[in-house]
Amino acid sequence: MNSVLKLIRRFFGILVLSLVFGIVLNVGLWIAYISKNQNSILNGEKGPWSRAEMISAELQQEGENYVLSENGLQLLKEAGAWVQLIENGSGKVVWSSANLPQEIPDAYTYAEMASAVRGYVKDYPTVSVGKGADVLLIGYPKNAYWKHMSPMFDYQIIARFPTFLLLFCAGNLLFVILVYAVSVSGVLKAVKPIIEGIRQLPENHQVYVKETGLLSQIAVSINQAAGQLRSQEYVLKKKETARANWIAGVSHDIRTPLSMVMGYAGQLEEDEELSKENKRKAHVIRLQSLRMKNLINDLNLASKLEYQVQPLHSGKINAVAFLRKMAVDFLNLDGEDKYPVEWATKEQVSAVFIRGDEELLKRAVSNLICNAQVHNPKGCIITLEVKQIQEMCCLAVSDDGVGVTEEVLSAIQKKPHYMVCDSQVKEQSHGLGLLIVRQIAQAHGGRVELSHAPQGGFRAEIFLPLLPEKES
Amino acid sequence: MKQDYLKKKKILLVDDEQEILYMVQGILAHEGYLNTRTAGTVREAMAAWKEWKPELVLLDVMLPDGDGFEFLEAARAFSDIPVLFLSARGEDEDRFRGLGLGADDYLVKPFLPKELLLRMTGILRRCYKEEEKEDLLRLAACALDFQRAEVVKGEHRIALTAKEYALLQVLARNAGRIVTIDMLCEAVWGDNPFGYENSLMAHIRRIREKIEENPSKPVSLITIKGLGYKLKVKE
Repeated sequence: MNSVLKLIRRFFGILVLSLVFGIVLNVGLWIAYISKNQNSILNGEKGPWSRAEMISAELQQEGENYVLSENGLQLLKEAGAWVQLIENGSGKVVWSSANLPQEIPDAYTYAEMASAVRGYVKDYPTVSVGKGADVLLIGYPKNAYWKHMSPMFDYQIIARFPTFLLLFCAGNLLFVILVYAVSVSGVLKAVKPIIEGIRQLPENHQVYVKETGLLSQIAVSINQAAGQLRSQEYVLKKKETARANWIAGVSHDIRTPLSMVMGYAGQLEEDEELSKENKRKAHVIRLQSLRMKNLINDLNLASKLEYQVQPLHSGKINAVAFLRKMAVDFLNLDGEDKYPVEWATKEQVSAVFIRGDEELLKRAVSNLICNAQVHNPKGCIITLEVKQIQEMCCLAVSDDGVGVTEEVLSAIQKKPHYMVCDSQVKEQSHGLGLLIVRQIAQAHGGRVELSHAPQGGFRAEIFLPLLPEKES
Repeated sequence: MKQDYLKKKKILLVDDEQEILYMVQGILAHEGYLNTRTAGTVREAMAAWKEWKPELVLLDVMLPDGDGFEFLEAARAFSDIPVLFLSARGEDEDRFRGLGLGADDYLVKPFLPKELLLRMTGILRRCYKEEEKEDLLRLAACALDFQRAEVVKGEHRIALTAKEYALLQVLARNAGRIVTIDMLCEAVWGDNPFGYENSLMAHIRRIREKIEENPSKPVSLITIKGLGYKLKVKE
């Protein structure tokens, strides 16, 4: 919906801008035109009226005769005009220029005089200027000027003109906006389902856009794209499920024979009649079959998490109680007291709520605790802590054991695991323990951070999103 | 031996793998559980359940003529004897389904003989408790009489409050093991037991005054800093 609004805003902006620019352009052009033709349109320096005034000034009476000066003649020549001086009272022409056309009368009645002053004489546009009591009539070439014969306006109309002009402009503007709105709404109606379809496409491959109207071809393309995505997704899911099922199947089939290996090895190990050496061998067989069992379980879980076929049984968990229980379960099993647990959670932190699959989270934390044990066979202090950092809950497992070098830490963080590696990279990670921890954190919308522990060993932190306050 | 009576219990083993049946029977026999029978199919298991009336069943899920879940569902209609699933199916759904149907435990193959024995004994002890002659629970400086909710200190008997009794019960059930602060709070204050740590400490102090020789140097009710408490009983 946002993109449609943006589109409308953009269109409207363009419309307003073009209107403003249009008005500015028109006014500019009008001013330029007026200023260029100022002399002919207005009563400018060389306009018909001014010229008439100047000619009148250049006409002098010398005795009985009238003489037009050189300057006056030049002004007449420039305009291609002729001149008559009409005597007051008689209407007779007492002087005229040499270039007077033949059809021009040499005497005027009052009516002819009125017509000549208002407009034309024999289609020659004329301008009149008073010369003493007489009238100087100047006639311009026929196509030189157009004269308005009755230039008289109702005063009320002129007084209301600004209001009328404003209303006129507003009316025009409204009309333009209306035309725009109607046309744009038509286009938007056609575009809206297309935009909605494209917007939904990344998340919802079941998108279907009605294949009618102005943009039906685009709708067809969107539907085809959605179909293609659906089939690709189906194939991918099928492949991933098959792969996860294959691993689950193999794990299942191995379990029964492995039961017998483990069972008999366990029995032999405790057989009083067996020699010490054979008991040791039985012990090795039992330990290795236990390793295989763990490997099968890890492989199965890692593949399910990787291919997203592991269901999450999410519930509300108090991370403090959860990690404390993990610590106690671990201590209750550690009969030799080789791995004492230090509880570093601050006393005032009694409840930090998260939403998660308790079984999976148990698996993640126990993988981290087991890692500390496996890498520190001589024993170490394992420190557990729950912290709240902004909107995340942090479950930290660290030890004061041998730790890892900078190179090893960087390799753990950067090397892709063979389970998730999509290229032929030589350097691949193999241990499944940390991969599972990372996958479980990711399945919960969290992450894992690995570092050196301040006490010298290894530190792993699982960050999980806090339960929103209204739910806790 | 205190648990000898458990070894006389009738145990039915159901699995389609003859070798597994043979091995488990051997493991049980080695530990003194001699009263066992085997069944390879649902039909055989149902017949044995009805006629022989076992007191514990170790049940596989995948059987040639049906599955263990359906079998348990049908068998639960006429018997509620304890059942332990022993299966290669280790998915969460399978475990939840098995336990949801009323199984007492679910052990995924492969398993260690010791683990199987421990789980099995645990179930038998819980289910056939009445036969176990339980004495007083002996601590370093006293004994606990749960039937009368009292601490027996030589000639004296000191009554326990309801909360002290509830706490000691949880601790005694897990004797020798650490019990978390959260579990203890839950036992006394029910669900959502947050913010009761100080009250819990006060109750623990009062219990110590009743059961310890020197409450400031406890030897029976030990604090595990930040995590919980452990009740040490006399062997």
